[in-house]
Amino acid sequence: MKLRTLLVAIACVLLLLASVLLGPDLEGAQGQFIVWQLRVPRVLVGMLVGATLALVGAVFQALFQNPLATSDTVGTTAGATVGALFALALDSSRTVQGLPLVTVCAFGGALTASLLVASFASSRAAHSSDVLLAGIAVTLATSALASGIQYVSDSRALFAATQWSLGQLPQVGYRGVLLLAPLCALCCALLLLLTRPLQAFALGEDLAHSQGVNVPRLRLLALGLGSLGVAACVAWCGPIAFVGLIVPHLVRRLLGASYRVLLPMSLCVGAALLVTCDAFARLIVPGRELPVGIVTAALGAPTLVLLVARGRR
Amino acid sequence: MAELEFVDLSVKLAECTLLDRITLRIAPGELVALVGPNGAGKTTLLRAALGLRAPSSGSVRLGNSAVGKLDARSRAAHIAWLPQHIRADEPVTSLESVAAARFRFRESHAQSRSAAERALARVGASAYAERRVTELSGGERQRVAFACLVAQEAEILLFDEPANHLDLAQQLDVYRLLGELWREGRSILCINHDVNLLHQVGDAARVRVVGLRSGSLVFDAPFDAPTLPAQLGNLFGIEMDALQGSEQRFIVARSRSRP
Repeated sequence: MKLRTLLVAIACVLLLLASVLLGPDLEGAQGQFIVWQLRVPRVLVGMLVGATLALVGAVFQALFQNPLATSDTVGTTAGATVGALFALALDSSRTVQGLPLVTVCAFGGALTASLLVASFASSRAAHSSDVLLAGIAVTLATSALASGIQYVSDSRALFAATQWSLGQLPQVGYRGVLLLAPLCALCCALLLLLTRPLQAFALGEDLAHSQGVNVPRLRLLALGLGSLGVAACVAWCGPIAFVGLIVPHLVRRLLGASYRVLLPMSLCVGAALLVTCDAFARLIVPGRELPVGIVTAALGAPTLVLLVARGRR
Repeated sequence: MAELEFVDLSVKLAECTLLDRITLRIAPGELVALVGPNGAGKTTLLRAALGLRAPSSGSVRLGNSAVGKLDARSRAAHIAWLPQHIRADEPVTSLESVAAARFRFRESHAQSRSAAERALARVGASAYAERRVTELSGGERQRVAFACLVAQEAEILLFDEPANHLDLAQQLDVYRLLGELWREGRSILCINHDVNLLHQVGDAARVRVVGLRSGSLVFDAPFDAPTLPAQLGNLFGIEMDALQGSEQRFIVARSRSRP
């Protein structure tokens, strides 16, 4: 078991290294520039985003006791979409304090939506399934709002919105990395501290309560931290499908569901998987880049089916 | 050691009264068997004791404080619970599940694991400590849940039909184990559907049987009371007989005459 965990970790590191090195031959000063100023920061952003989405997915699946829960179950992604559409409808080139308006609005939208759900989750009487329903309700409501904004937008804003909604790792340089890193690192570190109460959740929410877990507080902490991390990621990259859903299931099949292994390994595998998908997206169509969201969705869906089919045997 | 006391407890859900002014005290070291028809409110009573169901009026008290006011960890030091079902769709090993039940202790994972190993050994489940709970049979899963309860090391134990869905030998085992924990000095409140199983706990004469119907207490009698068969019959609306075995009395239902 321990050996398998180590092997998976090594595979993740190899994938990350390969993703930096893969690409057209790069020589001389220009090559140096492309690798160090473009590719490395992009890989770093990919690692941060992939790790956060995957860890939050694993935490939410544990929290909601639902294998379909993901980082966007509580309305975070839907809220970010409304924010982004709003900004794009106004003016896509505006900046606030040097940050793109789209990013700022998406972050705000994501936090607003998840705050609504989190406030509901902290009530003592609510059961996890109620919180899940509240998340779905907020997602539906914000989607309606998003459609409304799209309806009144002009065609240029609509095109920009479509581009945004595909999800991609942007060229944000080291400045973007520096903005994203502390937030993601903080959220992930604090979420990992919740491993023990989450493990008690595995045999049922009420049993965990009887064993001494403060359920409303755990729910509020996990939802709050998870949403904050995901909001930061979605604000920069748009919605990146499937990473939060697939990675925890992949790790569960490979290494079991002891959360002491599942949570940290979801983090590693999430980082490696998203960066690998992004390398794929750079290279698969020569001379053109695909949005990484398309690649994760295209690879993710069949992987999930395969995992479920193999697990049932 | 704190005692568990229900004081004039009522629980209402919308228009429906689940528990109606229940007053019941479980003294330290006592074993109380809770019997009654389906829907009588037995499980609700246990959930109220755990703070999972808030009282509409009255209170559940643990020593000097109301259960709902207690901090979760200290409540868990007093009361542990064996629910009717545990969720088993996460592929976690039995050992990890039982180690997680040690949440109330501030200790290292290695300490939790060794306590979990002892608890699994105690309930006779060591053989499948490293197997995933998703792969266990119903009886094995019940033992793992029992090990969780043991590992929590609480003073008051609540059992919700611990023999449910078990084969005959396993039923006896569960009650024997329950009796062991009781005779070590713990207080127990146990929902029970077959009072004859109570012979397994040892010293059954000290057991109290409490009847609950439609949310109200109907009777409260010692296990060896001569009136118990009639009281049970009355509780379920059937005829019950006492049969004297070589060492113990069995209470059985008389077959209904044809209409």
